[in-house]
Amino acid sequence: MLAEIFLVARKDLRVERRAKIALGQVAPLALLILMVFAFALDANTSLLERGAGGLYWLAVLYGGTLLIQRSFDVETDDGNMDALRMSAIGMPSLFLGKALALFVQITVLELILGPGILLLYNVGVVDWVLLIAAAIAGTVAFSVCGVLWGAMSAGLRVRATLLPLLLVPVLAPVLLAGSRAFETALGVRAGAGWTWAGLMFVIAAVHTALGLGAFGFLLEEG
Amino acid sequence: MPVANSGAKMTATLITRVLGVSALAATGLMAVLGLVISPPDVVQGEAVRMLYIHVPSIWIAYGGFALTSISSILFLRRSRRRPDQGRHYDRLAGSAAEVGVVFTAITLITGMLWGKVTWGTYWQWDARLTTTVLLFVTYLGYLALRRLPAEPAVRSRRAAVMALISFINVPIVHYSVDWWRTLHQKASLSVGRRPEITGEMYWTLLYSALAVTILATWLIIHRYRVIRLEELRDEEGLEALIASRLNKDFGSH
Amino acid sequence: MSEVATVVAGWGITFVILATYSIWVVFRGKGIGRELGIGETEQSDLEKDVGTITDS
Repeated sequence: MLAEIFLVARKDLRVERRAKIALGQVAPLALLILMVFAFALDANTSLLERGAGGLYWLAVLYGGTLLIQRSFDVETDDGNMDALRMSAIGMPSLFLGKALALFVQITVLELILGPGILLLYNVGVVDWVLLIAAAIAGTVAFSVCGVLWGAMSAGLRVRATLLPLLLVPVLAPVLLAGSRAFETALGVRAGAGWTWAGLMFVIAAVHTALGLGAFGFLLEEG
Repeated sequence: MPVANSGAKMTATLITRVLGVSALAATGLMAVLGLVISPPDVVQGEAVRMLYIHVPSIWIAYGGFALTSISSILFLRRSRRRPDQGRHYDRLAGSAAEVGVVFTAITLITGMLWGKVTWGTYWQWDARLTTTVLLFVTYLGYLALRRLPAEPAVRSRRAAVMALISFINVPIVHYSVDWWRTLHQKASLSVGRRPEITGEMYWTLLYSALAVTILATWLIIHRYRVIRLEELRDEEGLEALIASRLNKDFGSH
Repeated sequence: MSEVATVVAGWGITFVILATYSIWVVFRGKGIGRELGIGETEQSDLEKDVGTITDS
């Protein structure tokens, strides 16, 4: 099973390495979003500092949604889905493999956005461990929810508008928890940063369990 | 024609007509009880009358969404074994969700109006309001997914999975927002605790819940029939199309 | 807005929403039923039901 998971993830990442969508298009766009937030808040330094955590996760949401879309477009475009269904790879492995590939891509995005908020919004990290733990928890939650909801809208003609509509309400708790945890880690709000990070791990675990059970239903034909 | 026989059942039966008339009478009496007979609250004044709609509406909404999830589970279990057996549960899930969305909208509107006179503002970022809005948007998305042009079986299966996951998400959303901030007054009626609303107001609230339940049941049944009729129409349209194609083919030979 | 006006607005909006939705559901069902040529004998009674819902 582990081998299958890595196989699927490697396939997705190889596609990405050749096309360079995440690095070449999504990451610059997400950085632009960080700039635009500063326009919206009139470059008010204290507001940007306080909002840095939330704005970071919003930028991740924006970029992540595009990556999720992409992750399933490569499958449905040339009837790859049929090939995957025919292959001996089990649905749970497919789910975890795609989630792993998405996790890697979103992590890359975050490695660009992270320094972005530190530099542009003038914030400093007071708790690195919490920051990294929260980032990992949030990214895992993003990836598993993303794969689940990406599969939900895969192959449908209106997926570009449907996916964000379905995804944002589900990710709302992750955005909330991620923002609060980052605020604590960045030292702009004393508080229960670890509780929020824990909540994100719980959300990630629940959706992983759901995905393992339900992914097959989503990709079944006819 | 066999369709004509079963057809009468699809638009009206004695039971639904009785149910419809009862819903009408019950909601009428609910208006009289809620607006005229029940007294104004000591603290909230006349604004308390909004709760006779607001509170039962959210119960109905949650009930509808619960029904959607249960039907979705049954659909997923049946449809695997026998391809045609699950349709019934799929229709039930769809109609319950739509009625749930309507009542969620009513909850939000009456809640905001109530908040305006009681809190002095239409909107508070409190746990239950925020959860309700997210719930509303989630099930709007569910209904959007159900309306998409796709193969019916695939669409129904995906919608069922979504309904299931969304319902499991409700407590997660609720608790996360609850941690974030809590302002709302405590639940109006809850098990094991003395209700804060007493006497005539308590009975009016319970009665309103009954009236709204009858109305919602009637609506769900009718919505179910509409979905079934739509399916029939689509099937007939398909058959007609095939028939016309066949005729053309035969004509050209 | 005064309390009474708010209550009237809330109940009013609720009844308008429910009446509109009920009418839409019933008439859509009947519309398709007519297209398919089924359930026509039942129409007049249902119309009466819905008509009164809007009054309440």
